[in-house]
Amino acid sequence: MSKALSFNPLIPLKMHVIHPQFPAKKTTAKPFSISARLQNQQQQLNLSVLRFTLGIPGLDESYLPRWIGYGFGSLLVLNHFVGSDSATATPAQLRTEVLGLSLAAFSIFIPYIGKFLKGASPADQATIPEGTEQIFVMSQNISDTQKEDLAWATYILLRNTNTIATLISVQGELCARGYWNIPEKVSKANLLDWFERQIERIGLKDLKDTLYFPQSSDSVLWEMLPKGTRSLLVQPVLQVPKPGANQVEKIEGFVLLASSMSYAYGDKDKAWIGALANKFGGKSLCMDL
Amino acid sequence: MEAGSLLHSPIPWNPKLSLRRRIRSTFPRFFYFRAFSSSSSSSSSSDSQGGYRGPKPRRDWVADWVSNNDDVVRSLPICVGGASLLAVLLNRTVSGIAPVADASSSQSRADLLTLGLAVTNILTGLVWLSIRPKSVSVVSPQGVECRRIYSHLPDSVVSELTWVWQSLSEVTCCRSLIVVYDSHCVLQIGFAAGYSIDDGEPVAVDADKLMQGSLCQGVIKSGAQSYLANLSLYPGKSELPFLPSNTQAVLLQPLGEKGIAIIGGDTIRGFTTSDQAWITLIGEKLDATLAKNVRNTPLVVQDQL
Repeated sequence: MSKALSFNPLIPLKMHVIHPQFPAKKTTAKPFSISARLQNQQQQLNLSVLRFTLGIPGLDESYLPRWIGYGFGSLLVLNHFVGSDSATATPAQLRTEVLGLSLAAFSIFIPYIGKFLKGASPADQATIPEGTEQIFVMSQNISDTQKEDLAWATYILLRNTNTIATLISVQGELCARGYWNIPEKVSKANLLDWFERQIERIGLKDLKDTLYFPQSSDSVLWEMLPKGTRSLLVQPVLQVPKPGANQVEKIEGFVLLASSMSYAYGDKDKAWIGALANKFGGKSLCMDL
Repeated sequence: MEAGSLLHSPIPWNPKLSLRRRIRSTFPRFFYFRAFSSSSSSSSSSDSQGGYRGPKPRRDWVADWVSNNDDVVRSLPICVGGASLLAVLLNRTVSGIAPVADASSSQSRADLLTLGLAVTNILTGLVWLSIRPKSVSVVSPQGVECRRIYSHLPDSVVSELTWVWQSLSEVTCCRSLIVVYDSHCVLQIGFAAGYSIDDGEPVAVDADKLMQGSLCQGVIKSGAQSYLANLSLYPGKSELPFLPSNTQAVLLQPLGEKGIAIIGGDTIRGFTTSDQAWITLIGEKLDATLAKNVRNTPLVVQDQL
């Protein structure tokens, strides 16, 4: 494709094309060391050697199609109006331009779809929004084991998921940790009361189903969450009913997680957070020790 | 904000456009994207929440659709790019313009830009195909179910251990869990190898022998988790006779300096990095709990087959 390569100097693509292998089911297997290492027993098509990278550290290449789409799309429009008179635009040129613009729109959309594919890793890390302060408060009149549990649970949530702020409420006792936006008029001593009031206002204590808001939208951002929150997950803590007993599941509390990334919690994360919530659910059976 | 919300132009899903249309008329507003990108008009709380007064999330159609049609979406950019490539060449041939690579006429420039976009799409499609995770099959463990808990443990520790087992078996591919602490086998739960080929007694864990073995010694000395992603490749497998013989992956988590947790899974490379991170921190918590509570009395089994 001489055409494809003729204008490539615009973008210095470093093609790490080492040994393309099409298809894996070859009778004469070439002894490439890389392909031998990447071969698996199922003989799937091995395309990982064709990945290319610009090699610039810190540049997120999954968004590259979007920028190329914007750039080339605008160049196409420029070419149409400036490159020639509109009157002399041939049908062939119009067809090409229409095709080009739809391709540009598709390229712009591609990184968005790519995020939902299995195997896609999240592009950015959670960033700490400005104006927040790091707090760690806990209700005081609970046993030491419970304090330890709450401290450990908040620690593990902040460390293992893309969370910047977490709030756990179990049987009325609260623990808040992470980066929150606290209004100035609330002093450190009244922090727990402030959280309590916010929770009362929204009625989080009566939540039965898991809530997950993967993208921020204004109606969702409640006042108490830090300003840069983009996704929110609220997991109710339900008391596990004793087997055999006819008990309705009682709501013990909830676990609230806020993140500064959108789509921060995948299925695996949600499964683990649910498992953590179960820990507090069965707690009422054997509390103090 | 996501680009989906900034998108103003439509995406005609059939890029093989061969219509003679004026450019302006090719931008009808597709309300699908408008509706999607508008801020959520979430309904107010319904009575089923019983007192919860906040907004409820709406279903994310794009995410669900992409997750369900993974293969189709993966090959989409390549198909689109390849088809556009052919379309451009066809266009040139059909309109009688010679396929020369020069930037002199605006037609050529438009063609080159379109080709650039097509190539970008093809390369993105290749990257997507290359990151497709391999599908590995689950291998059912051959063994007997067992549930042995060290008897002299307080209830809180028992419930914590039960919780760990429940979480691991529900969230990960874990099928066997053994916790050894202070030369006692504190917990053996899940599938275990039987003494005989048919259903026999589950093989007991010789805690002292296990702790002296090189596998555990290495793990405890380094203090770091050890992940044997494909157990059949490791000769150290002989030190774990109590696990079902066809256990595919094993995770060894040290609990401080006195204990170890052995987690057997039914899929090769079945434990993800996220699982490993969670198990590391759960191990630390178990270590803290057990350190307070394990006392020096002989093991009495609480056997349930």
